[in-house]
Amino acid sequence: MLGLALALLASTRSPAADVDLSKLPPPASRHIDFATDIAPLLADKCLGCHSAEQKKSGLNLASRQGALQGGENYSPAIKPGQSAQSPLIHLVAGLVPDKLMPKKGDALTAQQIGILRAWIDQGAIWPDGKTLAKAAAHWSLKPVVRPAEPKAKHPNSKIKNPIDSFVVAKLEEHKLSLSPEADRRVLIRRLYFDLIGLPPSPREVDAFVADRDKEAYEKVARRLLASPRYGECWARHWLDVVRFAETSGFEVNTPRPNAWRYRDYVIGAFNEDKPYDQFVSEQLAGDTLGADEATGFLVGGASDLVKSPDPVLTSNQRADELHDMVGTTGSAFLGLTVGCARCHDHKFDPIPQTDYYALKAVFAGVRHGDRRLTGTNTQSWDQEVKDQRQKLAEVEDALVEFEPLAQIGSVDTNRLRVPVNARLNIERFAPVAARRLRFTIAKTTGAEPCIDELEAFSAAAPSRNVALASAGTKATASGVYPNSELHRIEHLNDGQYGNPHSWISNEAGQGWVELEFPETVTINKIIWGRDREQQYTDRLAVDYRIEVCVESNDWKMVASSADRQPFGAGTNATEAFSLALLSPADGDRVRRLLAERTQHETRLKELADVPMAYAGQFDAQPEPTYRLYRGDPMLPREIVAPGTLTAISLKAGSESAGADDSCTDCCASNSACSLSLEQQRRVALAKWIAAPANPLTARVLVNRLWLYHFGEGLVSTPSDFGVNGATPTHPELLDWLADELVNPKCDPAAAHPWSIKHLQFLMVTSAAYRQSGNSRKEGLIGDASSRYLWRFPPRRLDAEAIRDATLAVSGKLDLRMGGPGYSFFEPNDNYVRIYNPKQNYGSEDWRRTIYGTIVRQRPDGVFGAFDCPDAGQIAPKRARSTTPLQALNLANSRFIMQQAGFFAQRLEREAGHDVDAQVRRAFTLAFQRQADPVEVAAAEKFVREQSLKVFCRELFNCNEFVYLF
Amino acid sequence: MKDHTLSHAGRWLLNRRDFLRFGGSGLSSIALAMLLADERLLAAAKPPIRPQWSPEHPYAPRPPHFVPRAKQVLVIFCAGACSHLETWDYKPELIKRNGQPMPGGDKLITFQGENGNLTAPLWDFKPRGQTGKMISEMLPNLAELADDLCFVHSMTAKSNTHGPAENQMSTGFTLDGFPSMGSWVNYALGTVNQDMPAFVAIPDPRGVPQVGPNHWSSGFLPAVFQGTAFNADTPIPNLATPREISPATEQSSRDFLKFLNQRHLERHPGDTDLSARIASYELAAKMQISASEVVDFSGESKPTLELYGVNDSNALKARFAKNCLLARRLIERGVRFVQLFNGAYAMGEGVGNWDGHKTLKKQYSVHAPILDQPCAALIKDLKARGLLEETLVVWVTEFGRMPTFQKGADGRDHNPHGFTVWLTGAGVKHGFSYGATDEFGHKAVENEATIYDLHATILHLLGLDHERLTFYHNGIERRLTDVHGEVLTGILA
Repeated sequence: MLGLALALLASTRSPAADVDLSKLPPPASRHIDFATDIAPLLADKCLGCHSAEQKKSGLNLASRQGALQGGENYSPAIKPGQSAQSPLIHLVAGLVPDKLMPKKGDALTAQQIGILRAWIDQGAIWPDGKTLAKAAAHWSLKPVVRPAEPKAKHPNSKIKNPIDSFVVAKLEEHKLSLSPEADRRVLIRRLYFDLIGLPPSPREVDAFVADRDKEAYEKVARRLLASPRYGECWARHWLDVVRFAETSGFEVNTPRPNAWRYRDYVIGAFNEDKPYDQFVSEQLAGDTLGADEATGFLVGGASDLVKSPDPVLTSNQRADELHDMVGTTGSAFLGLTVGCARCHDHKFDPIPQTDYYALKAVFAGVRHGDRRLTGTNTQSWDQEVKDQRQKLAEVEDALVEFEPLAQIGSVDTNRLRVPVNARLNIERFAPVAARRLRFTIAKTTGAEPCIDELEAFSAAAPSRNVALASAGTKATASGVYPNSELHRIEHLNDGQYGNPHSWISNEAGQGWVELEFPETVTINKIIWGRDREQQYTDRLAVDYRIEVCVESNDWKMVASSADRQPFGAGTNATEAFSLALLSPADGDRVRRLLAERTQHETRLKELADVPMAYAGQFDAQPEPTYRLYRGDPMLPREIVAPGTLTAISLKAGSESAGADDSCTDCCASNSACSLSLEQQRRVALAKWIAAPANPLTARVLVNRLWLYHFGEGLVSTPSDFGVNGATPTHPELLDWLADELVNPKCDPAAAHPWSIKHLQFLMVTSAAYRQSGNSRKEGLIGDASSRYLWRFPPRRLDAEAIRDATLAVSGKLDLRMGGPGYSFFEPNDNYVRIYNPKQNYGSEDWRRTIYGTIVRQRPDGVFGAFDCPDAGQIAPKRARSTTPLQALNLANSRFIMQQAGFFAQRLEREAGHDVDAQVRRAFTLAFQRQADPVEVAAAEKFVREQSLKVFCRELFNCNEFVYLF
Repeated sequence: MKDHTLSHAGRWLLNRRDFLRFGGSGLSSIALAMLLADERLLAAAKPPIRPQWSPEHPYAPRPPHFVPRAKQVLVIFCAGACSHLETWDYKPELIKRNGQPMPGGDKLITFQGENGNLTAPLWDFKPRGQTGKMISEMLPNLAELADDLCFVHSMTAKSNTHGPAENQMSTGFTLDGFPSMGSWVNYALGTVNQDMPAFVAIPDPRGVPQVGPNHWSSGFLPAVFQGTAFNADTPIPNLATPREISPATEQSSRDFLKFLNQRHLERHPGDTDLSARIASYELAAKMQISASEVVDFSGESKPTLELYGVNDSNALKARFAKNCLLARRLIERGVRFVQLFNGAYAMGEGVGNWDGHKTLKKQYSVHAPILDQPCAALIKDLKARGLLEETLVVWVTEFGRMPTFQKGADGRDHNPHGFTVWLTGAGVKHGFSYGATDEFGHKAVENEATIYDLHATILHLLGLDHERLTFYHNGIERRLTDVHGEVLTGILA
């Protein structure tokens, strides 16, 4: 495996002179057999790069001739009889600095080197004409080859499409057979829940049962695939795969209010049958493809918002963020556990540690955060914001002149100024000379006082702020909030507004600040605030005085809170203007100015409300990526360039590739490329993943589709197609489906390449899917979990389907699509967010479950117990467990009781007051079938003795309600 | 111990029969996946032992890997990072050099930034019990138990921020989304009392810690193994039958539901998932009774209530005391894993938890009395009732605190490099101290221990090999201890 890098060593044709031979492990002392000792070693360690097909550096170690001939840099590679002088030995032993071979995978052990040496010393015996083949690639890394459709031994009239040929062939191998087609009521219920996550209405059931058309079933399938409800159901599966949630996770678990746009994007992508290659590309590089929201994928995972000056913690947090992106990209699209190569080469799969860091480099410029959606014209937006801010400042300047003077000494209580407010307060007074100015706080609205900026204006025109540090003024304080980057005394007069540039005292409720001007100035106005960005209203000084002095201690008060109305209830905390104290003419003028101010503020707010998406932010010039020894950010090693996985080659006929598939190829050669370096990386990765020749992308996707339709994947480890993953039960079918996805041949006129709906239509119209879910003895004995599909494998519905079905049956389901979600929790804005499940539900809570804001760590209080993922890690496949908490939630929760009440009202509305009719209607609504006479009798008795509402509650709790057959 | 072995063997036989019974018909696909993957892994040196559980009896007791020393676990978690220097780790040098700069500490940036000088513990230390163990006066009642406790003074954590560090202490991983220790134990061993949840988390009366439910989450394990959270004030959500449904109606409802489910089952013979779900309603009904009974303290004697401080005038202490009493009642009823929390984060830094960054003395003076008597009473009561024979108690917190005060503040910053946890009860040495930090209590220097080691030890005491208790998820045989951990044999009795 003497890699490409050897080209750099061209001058060192005979390295023997430079290397320290004392470091060579000794040769083995036994006889070496080529077939058992050497061939497997070369195949495993070298032929990946140095084979007949792929001669890195011109070296081919597959034949004796090649080994003797050597490569571009070393010739020969081995010198028979002289292992210590053989370049191959020097390179595998790491004697040539930085050129340890193999480049990928574990280094040779001393014992292996000893064996190689002994073999060379014993004459490098290589059987005549023997050519080695490299170790066979893992099945999933081999190119997809469309297999021929198998012919069933017993021609079977049940076969509907090629899927069935594969399924039947496998069943025959196991002496099993398909079950008969399911009853139509069962079938339509299955198809509805599977494709749209909702039950069919009784009318839809009856229409299907009565439809004589041979294509009746196909018609329903087509209709459901075209329904907007379909995307709402299938988007949820994808959100599991990519660990999507709308909060940050970890300690503070803060909401991401703009994350919902990614959810809507995924729903839309499914509904419009976006080609999967495009779907992949947009999620990695949607900012370059007109699909900004799609990159919500990159930042859909948890991120630790608790920041610290500790550099170790900061590096670890960043490394974890990028790890999440690398790991999720690998598992979601490629079905590979790339994340396992963070600390060392992958233990099972051919993913060297450098591959992990090559992928990490692709994302090195991606940061968590909201991004303004493009499409809003950025340039004119920026300009208007600037203009509006300017106009607003002018209005405020004009307003200040009408502010009454502060009263010093005895206060006229009829002329009290407005109370203090958090945004901005003005103190006007007769011009006064000052060398120093002191602002003393005796009381706050709570906690240590905060001032974001203290300004003092010169009396002479043009008035200017003489308090600025840039004007030479020094600020001091009684104390400063400890260990804070945000709240420093320097921030008091730095010209920057807002909480992040403020001073906070170190004492609760009190403190003082002092300005020392560079010379004595004459001032007549002071402006101060707690947070002019209006994010915070706490820590506001409510009892204060402002004094100035010229000489050392001749302090003189110029303004104080004494002549302000008391802060508190009944006062308008945002209105900083003392309108009542003005003459009628001035009053009119001020009102006009205030109106203008409101106008500008409203417009600024509108401008600030441009669509944002939690879709990440991109550094155009990312920092370099280093390989981290043992994954430790404090132990960086060499720089790693962006790249893809070296074990996968997109070149036809080749099973392995090296660094040639470099990720930056697409643009590196194209100087006209308008993308940033950072974007080029992601675009290149997207192209590589979405390439038709990528052996994993299509296989992984079709397997996911199969999993959700049939309850288990053909590969039961849907995000691990590696060596440690499961082997496919139906490998040929998997490849047939993968090829059909990329190159549709069944009904090609109707299907476009990478069409998800096309594949799903084939799956749900197969006989394998349409067969009965009832158990058969021979099936249970031979294949209890129905992996070979002798029946449709029954399953419990997912949490979302149970909740949506409850709402659909009660008649309350609200089908409004898209937009910000509703919450499963009581409102709360604690710093460390508290999520208490809601106890009272209103109509805003009756939208489909997918529109409920997903809180990491906290699935919904009622339905989360049904194995809802907590979005901490990816959930490629949900567990389906049965727990007593599920039973308690369905039996006793307020949500279910309320819906049971609505269901009962609906029955009375639709079936009148006849209990018999109510009961019959209830069965058709809840179970999509008629009640039999025994059930009707029992149900009627129950309703008469108890109540219709409690009867409805029991239906929601039935196995039949939550199981799909 | 002998009885123990016998009952364990008996249980194992019983369980094997269960397994064979379910193996024939309805083992879910999970089981098949297990078997398939096992084949591949048989060659490994330490092949995984995946618990064989059936969906119908998910909590049925399952055999450990070897004879256990403990059957049940009680973890006491002090949220916010309780300072080892004010409590268990006596450092005379720190007292001596109070107010001096820490050698090598001048440029040290920790979680909240710069640090000031070394600061002596804010409470005095005294020798305790036969062993003369030096423990501070901050927790006098717990200090009295010194002869029963087994201290690990050399604990280290991977993260110095609460969220990831809490994750690590309770799940083994700093990231979100991994199964908690209790859910691993539940998955491995099931439980004895089928009327109670196998794994109960008791949140503090003030709320939940920073990462809240991650502490008792099942992560990617089936949800059936997750912890059930309730305390003396707040019952299991949706436990109570709605008020509008009378007991008679409820009984008749259950019969009616069972009738419908039985008919459905008759149409689908052999589908054990369906009978598992019917069984879950029966378990829920039992739990309604047992989980209500367990928080009903009317049968407790007056001396017991007084021992805990259940009626203390300090309302928070009284509420925490009830949680401690609840913990004992749960252990008494055979609950496999109980997690008792002291401290919550909702109120902010250090206010309702042990995160004493700025005003440590003031804050700990509030927290210590809440923890001390009730928690000490819990240990004493467990011991008096013989429950410590088979119960392992572990006191933990997310990490330690700095020997210095923070610059410009009267409290200590986070310190993951050295802190103390203690254990007591089944299987560990008593009146014993293991490992040590340096002269100031900054870094572990002797017998450095990791949270992986602690977890490996807890599993070991339960008869479980931490390297073999695995669950296959996304390409990896996941373990509580990741790829690390060694049993702390030095603390085993």
